Amino acid sequence: MGALARPVPIVGAAAVSAYGLEWRGLSRIVRSNRCAPVASTELGATHPGTPSFEVQALARATSVAEKRARLLMSRSAVLAAMATSAVLGDAGWSEPLEDVGFYLGVGASGGSLDQLTSMLAASVENHRLSLTRFGNQGLLACNPLFAFQLMNNFTLCHSAILHGTQGPNAAFFSRGTGTLIALLEAVEAILDGECDRALAGGADSSVHAVTWAELVRDGWAERGLVPGEGAALLALARPATSERAHGFLDYAAVAACRTRPLLQALADAQPELGCASIDAVVLAPWGPPARAALVAFTDAALPGRPVVDVERALGESLAASPALAWAVALDLMATEGLDRVLILSHGLDGDLGVVTIRSGGA
Amino acid sequence: MNRRAVITGVGVVSAFGVGAERFWDALAAGKSAVGPIRSFDAASFPTRVAGEVPVERTSAEWILEQQAPEHLADSFAAWERDGVLRDRKVAFGALAACEAWRRAGCESDGRDAWLCLALGLERALLEDFAPLLDAQQIRWAKEAGLSLPRTRFRSPVDITASMIADGLGLGGPRAVHTSACAAGALALAHGARLIESGAAALVVCGGADSMVNPLGIGGMARLGAPSPRNEHDACRPFDRRRDGLAIGEGAAIFVLEAAERARARGARPFAEILGWGSTQDAYKATAPRSDGKSASRAIQRALERAQLGASSIGYVNAHGTGTPLNDPAEVRAIRAAFGAAAERVPVSSIKGAVGHLMAASGAIEIAACLLAFERNTLPGTAHHEERDPECDLDIIGHAPRNLRVDYVLSNSFGFGGQNASVVLGRCS
Repeated sequence: MGALARPVPIVGAAAVSAYGLEWRGLSRIVRSNRCAPVASTELGATHPGTPSFEVQALARATSVAEKRARLLMSRSAVLAAMATSAVLGDAGWSEPLEDVGFYLGVGASGGSLDQLTSMLAASVENHRLSLTRFGNQGLLACNPLFAFQLMNNFTLCHSAILHGTQGPNAAFFSRGTGTLIALLEAVEAILDGECDRALAGGADSSVHAVTWAELVRDGWAERGLVPGEGAALLALARPATSERAHGFLDYAAVAACRTRPLLQALADAQPELGCASIDAVVLAPWGPPARAALVAFTDAALPGRPVVDVERALGESLAASPALAWAVALDLMATEGLDRVLILSHGLDGDLGVVTIRSGGA
Repeated sequence: MNRRAVITGVGVVSAFGVGAERFWDALAAGKSAVGPIRSFDAASFPTRVAGEVPVERTSAEWILEQQAPEHLADSFAAWERDGVLRDRKVAFGALAACEAWRRAGCESDGRDAWLCLALGLERALLEDFAPLLDAQQIRWAKEAGLSLPRTRFRSPVDITASMIADGLGLGGPRAVHTSACAAGALALAHGARLIESGAAALVVCGGADSMVNPLGIGGMARLGAPSPRNEHDACRPFDRRRDGLAIGEGAAIFVLEAAERARARGARPFAEILGWGSTQDAYKATAPRSDGKSASRAIQRALERAQLGASSIGYVNAHGTGTPLNDPAEVRAIRAAFGAAAERVPVSSIKGAVGHLMAASGAIEIAACLLAFERNTLPGTAHHEERDPECDLDIIGHAPRNLRVDYVLSNSFGFGGQNASVVLGRCS
């Protein structure tokens, strides 16, 4: 994509982060330099003392159906459900939601480690996995519906089930880029006439024992990466049907970086961006090398603009990071009275995400 | 619609073996390949049969034996050293992509090509957790003392996409669809949209999956989804006696481009992608909507986008899992979308023959649809013998049907309620 043929109104937003359940005010928190990770509760048993940006209080289930659903939900799915509830409220969308599309960047399987441990404990002999024991006893040691926690499309599906969104939809695996793809597909679905309204964003947690063990093993902890988690969604509407908007999405693109360096990809995108009208930049980089490249571009192409680094303030929230950055950008625009904000993201999956949002009243 | 998206390359890995022609030959002959699991010892598992690709261990040597490009030999060897090939879908996806790329004949065009791939869950490598287990707890601190290959605990979800992009030299963005059983169809629709809008000139898309591993087979068995009978006819779609699915594995990958581009370079298109639609049941995590209402809307949207009436559709490749709940729900969905035309349209499911390929199911079923255009043959429904009054459509039985049709519909309805339908057309 790139510059949108028609700017798409953003009529609702939601962000669930270590700082609570509000997207409004998030930019001030992120810019305050008061953001500091605290020892993780979730990783307390497996990686004690790990500092993290963890969502401290997951919202309580409010209905019997939701309580039952929680038994099948990963932590990411719960975060997504909280964000979905919030974004629908913010957009003022209530049932029926049959026509609402839903496109979400999701992470890896985030099933309960207790279930996995129970299964293994019944299946391991002399520190080796016994397939015979696994088949006979290990499988019986876990919840029969454990598979629903493991299926990462359920991060989206649980929310759809809880809230009744029945429009076009897709889940994308994301360590950054997939969340941009989710946004692009939501925009296409609206501009293409598949639906008049759609949700787009990401939900994920790196505050999970296996995910964090992998990040540690790959050297990210040593390089200063702090685990985080969250979920953020934008509610998008067809241009002609929107009466109020927090802002307008006017540019969205994914630029591949496999055949060129990140800085080159940024430079290639620059002519289309209309840098003169950009008032501030929000960054969601994956780790120090990406941060250095995004900052270098910003310094050169957009000197003097305020730069907000979401990943530094909210931790690495994987599939959720770019979407949290969009929410921060919206808030920044509203609180500072800015006209246009550029959001740059770069995930471990290697591609550059470029989004601009411009103001639009409300 | 600015451009028409056509399929100019196809590659398949299935329980019949490697290659699209082998897959089509087997379907045209009415064969079935579901049988005992051989890639691991499943003797103690409730489910012991699957539509398993005939290879015990996916290795670099095996990939090269399947006519994979020799110049990628070093890459395959590196994948094996890194432990990447422990996840079987990586090898299947790579082989199918190589075949599709070769058949499309656009070897040097990959610089800006997109990759839209439907992939299943990461493979959980339970054997890697075992050394860390102590007194019924996983002791992560012990990990530092272990000597394991690089891929541990689980294979990254997107590793197959990385391997295909690197192997074929695809330089465009990558989209990894993880919408369970609907993902393959959604990946193809995504690719077609990119071509139609002009966002991409060339897209490699499709799906690869394997749940034929201890946690995959065991987890599905625990859910109660597979047939409890461990027989070659475990999956009997639309049959009165159906009692569950058969798990399958494999890949189907396509090369998409604009019809004008294909014509200009002399490529022969296999089919045109005319329409698609997706919806969400938003009903239950554990079951589809029994009235098929949301699935029906996905079909209707696909027909609308294709600008076709239901009576134009000459064949429906059903999702047809062979489970007691899914098949009648799909029949209701087809009836609701097709109206009177539902009485006449031939319907079949290939899941009795190759099993349920999960994230790759939509992709391999679209590959099966190409048989209709390539050979004027509609695939049969393996092990469908007794008609079910609840599934009272023109279900093609075990034997394939020779019939020329111009438009086909493929349904994919996923765990979690994600529905996708795709309409393909014959290229003149």
